[in-house]
Amino acid sequence: MFFGASEFDITKAQAHNDATKRLSQVVIRVHDLHKYFQVPIRQRGRFSALRSLLVRRHRLVKAVNGVSFQIGRGELVGYLGPNGAGKSTTIKMLTGLLVPTHGEISVNGRIPWKQREEHVKSLGAVFGFRSTLWWDLPVIESLELLRYIYDVPLARFKDNLREFRKILEMDAFINTPVRSLSLGQRVRADVCAALLHDPSLLFLDEPTIGLDVVAKERIRQFILHANRQRGTTVLLTTHDLSDVEKMCQRVMIIDRGKLLYDGQLESLRQRFGGKRELVVELVDEEDQISIEGAIVTSRQGAQVMFQFDRDQISASELIQRISSNYRIRDLSVREPDLEATIRRIYEQRLLEDAV
Amino acid sequence: MKALRLYLWLVLIQVRSQMQYRVGFLLETLSVALGSIISFVTLALVLQKFEGIAGWSLGEVAFLFALVELSFGLMDMIFSGFDPDYFAAHTRQGTLDQYLLRPVSLTLQIFGSQFILRRLGRIFQGTLILVYAVQLVNIEWTVGKILYLPLVIAGMVLFFGGLFMLGATITFWTVERIEAVNILTYGGTELMSYPMTIYQDWMRRFFTYIVPAIFLNYYPSLYFLDRPDPFNMPFVVRFIAPVVGLGVFLAAYVFWRFGVRYYQSTGS
Amino acid sequence: MRVYWEIAKRALSRQLTYRTATLAGLATNFYFGLLRAAVMAALYGARAQVDGISLQAAITYTGLAQSLIAVISLLGWFEVMRSINKGEISSDLLRPIGYFKFWLAQDLGKAAAQLALRGIPLMLGYALFFDILLPQTLWHWLAVFLALGLAVLLSFSWRFLVNLVGFWVTDATSIGRVVYIFSWFLSGFLMPLRFFPDWFVRLCYLTPFPHTINTIVEIYLGVLTPGQMLRALLLQLAWFVGLTLACSWVLRRGIRHLVIQGG
Ligand SMILES: Nc1ncnc2c1ncn2[C@@H]1O[C@H](COP(=O)(O)OP(=O)(O)O)[C@@H](O)[C@H]1O
Ligand SMILES: [Mg+2]
Repeated sequence: MFFGASEFDITKAQAHNDATKRLSQVVIRVHDLHKYFQVPIRQRGRFSALRSLLVRRHRLVKAVNGVSFQIGRGELVGYLGPNGAGKSTTIKMLTGLLVPTHGEISVNGRIPWKQREEHVKSLGAVFGFRSTLWWDLPVIESLELLRYIYDVPLARFKDNLREFRKILEMDAFINTPVRSLSLGQRVRADVCAALLHDPSLLFLDEPTIGLDVVAKERIRQFILHANRQRGTTVLLTTHDLSDVEKMCQRVMIIDRGKLLYDGQLESLRQRFGGKRELVVELVDEEDQISIEGAIVTSRQGAQVMFQFDRDQISASELIQRISSNYRIRDLSVREPDLEATIRRIYEQRLLEDAV
Repeated sequence: MKALRLYLWLVLIQVRSQMQYRVGFLLETLSVALGSIISFVTLALVLQKFEGIAGWSLGEVAFLFALVELSFGLMDMIFSGFDPDYFAAHTRQGTLDQYLLRPVSLTLQIFGSQFILRRLGRIFQGTLILVYAVQLVNIEWTVGKILYLPLVIAGMVLFFGGLFMLGATITFWTVERIEAVNILTYGGTELMSYPMTIYQDWMRRFFTYIVPAIFLNYYPSLYFLDRPDPFNMPFVVRFIAPVVGLGVFLAAYVFWRFGVRYYQSTGS
Repeated sequence: MRVYWEIAKRALSRQLTYRTATLAGLATNFYFGLLRAAVMAALYGARAQVDGISLQAAITYTGLAQSLIAVISLLGWFEVMRSINKGEISSDLLRPIGYFKFWLAQDLGKAAAQLALRGIPLMLGYALFFDILLPQTLWHWLAVFLALGLAVLLSFSWRFLVNLVGFWVTDATSIGRVVYIFSWFLSGFLMPLRFFPDWFVRLCYLTPFPHTINTIVEIYLGVLTPGQMLRALLLQLAWFVGLTLACSWVLRRGIRHLVIQGG
């Protein structure tokens, strides 16, 4: 990747601008959202059954604990976090499945759980490990039943179905009952079902969990298609970072019920990415190499690896310094990978007080 | 209108898949019918031997028994989505999610979520015993009685349906099903199959003032069978079965709508 | 032998962990018992005795019948059938223990737990509500428990036999259910068999069912002479042995069928 990184930055920056423009039209508004669960504590010891019958002891799980954010029309936002962070709980409140313990949600100007029926008409939702289709029905019949439930005009339904069948490659299993589908096929059918009624919002909870590379790719393509071609606003949770890297400009990171980060993926990298690396192949093998602002971490013949901090020196400046002392044959900049970045954030709780 | 069509559609899906295993379906229907036929035959044999119970003849008791059986069978077919034994699985596994995601009334979807065709067995044999009982008793039919009979059945359907709904709603808090509700439903059918005079006072009072079961089958039957009221209640209580049934159902429905808010889904 | 003892112990303690369910089951059994006792009292009216059974005995009978429900799995037991249908049986058969004995040990453990948690408490509750009959001598109690033990064994062997239908029929639960429903009637669970005509009772006794509940009841109530009692116990034993032999024969054929069909 020869200077490729900066080109990439430009497209991202543009996308960022688009997003901020769209943000003027906020569709999801979440303010100080909380959801607590009472989880019964299993009692042990003598007479425990009798005791738990009379007085049940509970533990309070703060699944979502004071989350605020806004999402604009047409955005595609990744919602990241480790297991048990509170992602699904947030999505369930946004889709009207759960009533918040405290706080405000407004989606398209509605309170999801209060105006549930109106609300769910304008959204599509996919929960990766659970199908919303009818178990015994062939996929196509499930879709037709959904057409009836959502009042989709026949022509619109046919157009959409034709389009989705192609992108998701559903022809092979469209007449198969849902119960006999493979996981990849089932999720594709579910994703298709979620968009048939042209929702303006799409919520996906771990849509790619447990899928093989090909199925993952197909679903990502489809989500991008829906977002770009149809302007669907998308919020997707995942702990697969390649999902985020391939689809999202904006990420929100949640851990233990609190938002740790909300912003552009790129600036996340910049702020928390840690050290970058520059790999240089010199024309001649040198005995001594030292450059101000960077340290040499390894050498293999003419190949030298520098590590540097983006706060202290920019890549181009470093390259200038090197090239003024040595002759360079080839070079590349390595960004720290996202996985490591996020891990650092969780482990060191870097963002504890950042948001 | 749309709601009704959707309901029928959901029911049709299930009927279709249940009919796929035809032999199994027939056997299941048979076993359901057999269960209540055997308990009725036993009852009939014993009543014959003892020459009735508490002054009620075999035919009269059969009438009580058949009305409850028929109504409970109908209810079980319509309300089985709310059957606490089955509904508890929704709250335990969080499968209510998929219904809540659809822009249709949740109640309607639960009605359509479970339709067990083999329950026909119970309805069928309830009807059979009712016909037998009517022949045996020689009821003096009047227009009023003919019009009132379906209302009594509807009242009991709503009553038992309300109890199912109540049991289903409780699972929003308990997650596990509550067996005590079975005492009211299945225990209720047993209780209501006999003249209420046979029970001890505290029990009868409980099923009069707390769970108003006495008005649903016993009092209407006094009217159909032209029997006097041993408890000296106003004459009109013979005719309040549909109202009581509807009241229990509506109360349960309000409770259900309230309880849905406490649905917790499940952590993955 | 040791391994079966361990299996039975596990089954017993597993039942102990479902204590809330057990408590609820006890309440249900007891409630139905109250209804049945009320029906009995109303049936008897002013009669002192019917077919050698006093009202007191008849009410005691309803308690006994209700307390035996869980002990001999009267409402249905389809676990073997299910394990055959799901194919779990193949892994069970790999274990170096007898399949019949494996399940018998579990059933005995479960029965013991249900007797302690539901059977005996229910009778104690009955004693509070009603003036029930109690056996007066040690020998009488011994005979009751002997009959109970044999009834559990015998009941297990016919239930196991019914479950084996699963080898040949894929969803055999409905067949099983039909048999169970007949057993309610024929075992004397719904009403004491004495209330029915002699020829009919004799017909019932051609099946294994009355040797479970009806025999226990008649021994408990003391309506049998010592000679009749001994005969009843021996008949229970004979049925158990006969049914067990039948089970092992059918099981062998079933396994052969399974192997040929490839599971
Ligand atoms: N229905 C529920 N009942 C009790 N606890 C729950 C429930 N749903 C979620 N939780 C708990 O809330 C926390 C957040 O869960 P969840 O939102 O599913 O996390 P994520 O989707 O990020 O993995 C976890 O500790 C989980 O155990
Ligand atoms: Mg989750």
